[in-house]
Amino acid sequence: MMPLERWLIELLLNFVTREELNAFLRSPQNTAMLVGCLIAVSGALLGVFLLLRGMSLTSDAISHTVLLGIVVAFLLMTEVFGLHGDTSSPWLILGASLAGVGTVLLTEMLYRSGLVKQDAALGLAFPLLFAIAVILVSRYVEDAHLDEDAVLVGEIGLAWANTNSHCFANCESVTVAPDHEAAKFARQCNNCRELGISPRDERAVFSETCSNCGEYNPAQAWSAGLLEREPVLVFFPKSITVMLLLTLLTLGFVLVFFKELKLSTFDTGLAQALGFRPGALHYALMILVSLVAVGAFDAVGSILVIAFFIIPPAAAYLLTDRLAMMLLLSPLIGGVGAYYGYDLARGQLFSFIAVADGIAVLNRLFGLSLPEEWDSSISASMVLMIFILFLLAWALSPRYGLASTLIRRANRRRVFENQVVLAHIHNHQHTTAHDIELNVDHLHEHFRWTERKMSRVLTGLRALGYIRIIAGSAELTDRGDRQVHAFRKTMLEAHNIPDLP
Amino acid sequence: MPGARLSAADKRVWLIIAGIVLLGALFIPLSLVLFDLRFTYTVRVVALGGAILGLLSGVLGSFAVLRQESLLGDALSHAALPGVAVAFLLAGRELSSLLVGAGIASWLGLRFLSALLHTTRIKQDTAMGIVLAAWFAAGIALLAYIQSIPDASQAGLDHFIFGQAAAIIERDVTLVSAVGLLVLLLVALFWKEFKLVTFDSEFAGANGFRIGFINAVLSTLIVVTIVLGLQLAGVILMVGMLIAPGIAARQWTHKLDQMVILAAVFGAFAGGVGAVISALDSDIPTGPMIIVVSFVLVLLSITLAPGRGLVWSRLRQRANRRRFAAINTLRDLYRYALAHGAEDYPVPDDFIRGVRARSVESGLRQLRGAGQVMALGEGWRLTEEGIAWAREDRRNQRLWDLYRLYNDELGLPVIQEDRRLDIGAVLPAAAVEQLENRLEPSETA
Amino acid sequence: MWTAMPDRPEPPGMDRTSEFALSVDDLTVAYQEKPAIWDIDLEVPEGVLMGIVGPNGAGKSTLIKAVLNLIPRAAGTVSFYGKPYERARSLVGYVPQRGSVDWDFPTSVIDVVTMGLYGKLGWFRRPGKRERELALFALEQVGLVDFVDRQISQLSGGQQQRSFLARALVQDAQIYFMDEPFAAVDAVTENAIVDILQALNKRGKTVLVVHHDLQTVAQYFDWVTLLNVEVIATGPTAAVFTPENLRKTYGGQVASLNGGILAGAAGG
Repeated sequence: MMPLERWLIELLLNFVTREELNAFLRSPQNTAMLVGCLIAVSGALLGVFLLLRGMSLTSDAISHTVLLGIVVAFLLMTEVFGLHGDTSSPWLILGASLAGVGTVLLTEMLYRSGLVKQDAALGLAFPLLFAIAVILVSRYVEDAHLDEDAVLVGEIGLAWANTNSHCFANCESVTVAPDHEAAKFARQCNNCRELGISPRDERAVFSETCSNCGEYNPAQAWSAGLLEREPVLVFFPKSITVMLLLTLLTLGFVLVFFKELKLSTFDTGLAQALGFRPGALHYALMILVSLVAVGAFDAVGSILVIAFFIIPPAAAYLLTDRLAMMLLLSPLIGGVGAYYGYDLARGQLFSFIAVADGIAVLNRLFGLSLPEEWDSSISASMVLMIFILFLLAWALSPRYGLASTLIRRANRRRVFENQVVLAHIHNHQHTTAHDIELNVDHLHEHFRWTERKMSRVLTGLRALGYIRIIAGSAELTDRGDRQVHAFRKTMLEAHNIPDLP
Repeated sequence: MPGARLSAADKRVWLIIAGIVLLGALFIPLSLVLFDLRFTYTVRVVALGGAILGLLSGVLGSFAVLRQESLLGDALSHAALPGVAVAFLLAGRELSSLLVGAGIASWLGLRFLSALLHTTRIKQDTAMGIVLAAWFAAGIALLAYIQSIPDASQAGLDHFIFGQAAAIIERDVTLVSAVGLLVLLLVALFWKEFKLVTFDSEFAGANGFRIGFINAVLSTLIVVTIVLGLQLAGVILMVGMLIAPGIAARQWTHKLDQMVILAAVFGAFAGGVGAVISALDSDIPTGPMIIVVSFVLVLLSITLAPGRGLVWSRLRQRANRRRFAAINTLRDLYRYALAHGAEDYPVPDDFIRGVRARSVESGLRQLRGAGQVMALGEGWRLTEEGIAWAREDRRNQRLWDLYRLYNDELGLPVIQEDRRLDIGAVLPAAAVEQLENRLEPSETA
Repeated sequence: MWTAMPDRPEPPGMDRTSEFALSVDDLTVAYQEKPAIWDIDLEVPEGVLMGIVGPNGAGKSTLIKAVLNLIPRAAGTVSFYGKPYERARSLVGYVPQRGSVDWDFPTSVIDVVTMGLYGKLGWFRRPGKRERELALFALEQVGLVDFVDRQISQLSGGQQQRSFLARALVQDAQIYFMDEPFAAVDAVTENAIVDILQALNKRGKTVLVVHHDLQTVAQYFDWVTLLNVEVIATGPTAAVFTPENLRKTYGGQVASLNGGILAGAAGG
């Protein structure tokens, strides 16, 4: 991972100075927004296929199971191998992802065995795995980066602080040995505990140990005051590297296998018959989902991450009828949501509405006294922002949106009412009973409509020039007559060509 | 006789119920000794609260399990969180108002879900995911806002995330008992209707029941149960507390009334025991502990329950497989041989292994032991004895064929077709004779 | 519309006996321990239009899926024109049941049809202009050319089935497998589909169709396989579609239908 970061930094240093880069990365806001957008983009891309395969809740499954994987891998790292626990270590990510995929496969097998219904199997297995993970965390893990809060919401706000340092000039590593001039020593009683005596007891034997001996990389050496010349350093947040890598991997996967993914998602049987390997693609997809879920764990925890997989694709699904477009819109919605989500956490909705104003209005309306300063969870706000974008898509989508659906339904009702009245006039206008059937004042009685509704429809039809009223009776114009026939014709063909939903 | 068997099953269910109640009653005195637990006032309150909530969850969870709405329960319990936060902001930390808030949020989630399903092409699983994630995020965001308020006594609100039994006080138990009693009364009142809509909603509708209304009542009661349990199990894990007792109970019985009572007892046991264990150690949130205890019950039920249980059905399957492995293998050998012209035509090893990969080993072993088949290099050949048995079996199969063809025409008694049985054992002799008359001359030999 | 086909082969009836389009040998498929199809031997001559007929649960779809390697076989071998499936893929076209896919999938009619060409393209290569033209040509043949850019959920059931047929047509295979193409389509569409199948057949293609309507068997197909876990009979319709064979396939319940079906058989 380090060489990759270095390569990336060198690339960036062609465009910006080192000071600018450091300043950019040291801002909690920039790093949080960047990491959030990367999570949203990779999650939203994979989520499109999960949604279309009816596997949306698989991301739920994976997020629950990888949590246990992360906790177990973390405990293994710290307790068994005595390493420094770090949830962004590539080995931990890989191990936890595999554990996640394995567990999902096991649950699939469980409900395929037919003993428990699928929903019950999932409804039971996920809380259980999650419960075990939480018990392990609360009992055995004592680490600031892995507690119940981190499990819930992650620490995207602190992502900037967990960095790798890269040195570009004046790079001196220092080894502090006991004979080094900066070595510090601490006196320690060797046999106090053994004999149960106090250090002041005369039997106590002391030795001196070096308290600061060890390897210092240039960054550590500089901050410990071991160097005279300041090294040229860049501090790069680990989360950015991890998520950038995962996003590129996801993007590459989707681009390279676009055709194969499309076919095997739409029609697994044909994909297999044509010699593509839908099974392999399925597992590749699951592994990627696990990787992203684990990679995102540090930043957004293990529950909110499902929002990044589920909500942006659902919004995109309401906006387009083309897979390629959906793959474009979904990460866009996710990314924009994550970007503005940071602002929302800091009290700005779309950077022009202040949440504080909203709270002030509530306070005034309901006589409350809520503090107007809004400072909230970044990851949760990102999810909320994505959800707000989903609501906008739902409300305004030209084809599947609420507004257009309601308008279309009203239109269809109006067209239908018009046609029914025209047909009635057409059927009766040359019969003997036409003065009874077509009397404008009584027409509404034949339809059991209200008088107002009928007069509205008649006014509309007159305005369209379909009917005229002669001596209190309605009569079709030529235009109206043509309209009736045209409608009949489309009705007959309609069973072949259903209207838009 | 079916009647006798059922009553044995009934007895067993009641025995289990009595056993669990006894075990639960023993748990507290036992734990006094085992864990050096002091039977304090707090422990009593916590145990009682846990048991009551568990009982309630068991009853309503049974319906959720049978209606296949487990994951809906998951979404709805996550969705309760913002309600807790808003209620706190508006009315302070009175438990009843927090629960009302939770209920309203959860109910709004349900309405949103059905609006999505009715107006878009988004499918149920995605819609549930959206509600779960968005409502939960709103709850987390509001909790973070509340935490940022200086000197707000927000302590305890985060108990609603993972549950904390130690926080339960006597007044809470009183509230939960009162509401719980009301819920149980309603279940009793609507028993017949709930049963009908759970098993066959369409039939219920056709018989003039107002399904919409009954479903709404049932969903509301489930939401109320979820909300009551939140303080103990937390929004994330409440679904486990809700459905685990039902899943466990389902393994033991096919009758709804028994299932519900058994689930209530399981739930009360898991709730009480889980709450007490977690009250021992403030490091363990209660929700996870209850889930673990419930899961132990589920695991025991799945493996041990008579009839359905894994252990028994595995044993039965093995015996059956052994019994039928021999006859199936014999049939395969014989049919292959006949298709190739002679009854003792050798059958290639890879064919017979391909047809019945799993049971063929046992089948061949048994047939060889009985001297009905002999190994022949790369294949197998039937012996005289084997051929005789195969003929007899084939005749039996032919009679079954004829039964299927002519039972109408000949007016034979209607029986369940099970070709593994000797037809003579299930049909009267006269009927078998009628069928035999239809055999072709070549077959009567 | 079929006369305009660019690659009209020699008239049918020639050189049919030299090789079987499909030969199935000892094919068995088992779910758990229960065989779904048992020891199937089947030889389908080139250029026939064959119906696969049998009661529910007889293993009709299973047979097709096992032949195409979509489900694991317990035993048996399958060859197409003497070659195993892996080497004969380009000769085989498959139309799955309409209900097996999600028609809300965000894609257009022409896109679905183009999918039929993915096998020829292989991994990684994207469809281009040529593929679009082939797809348009196939859509013209099934009469869907006005619907090219429609979202597939906006098609009626019959149109969806026709788009699946078009997808099979672009595959330009020699042998086609169709799983219940007439399920839940109206009479007009059924006739249109039959016309397409028979036209394919006239061009010398071999077509195997899973079918469940006994009334129309004799009218649609010149070759029939009666299946009930085992092959009861297979061969030319006139020889195979007899009352005894139907009895053997369906058991007693079909007796009352016999008159009607056989009248149909005589007519066809």
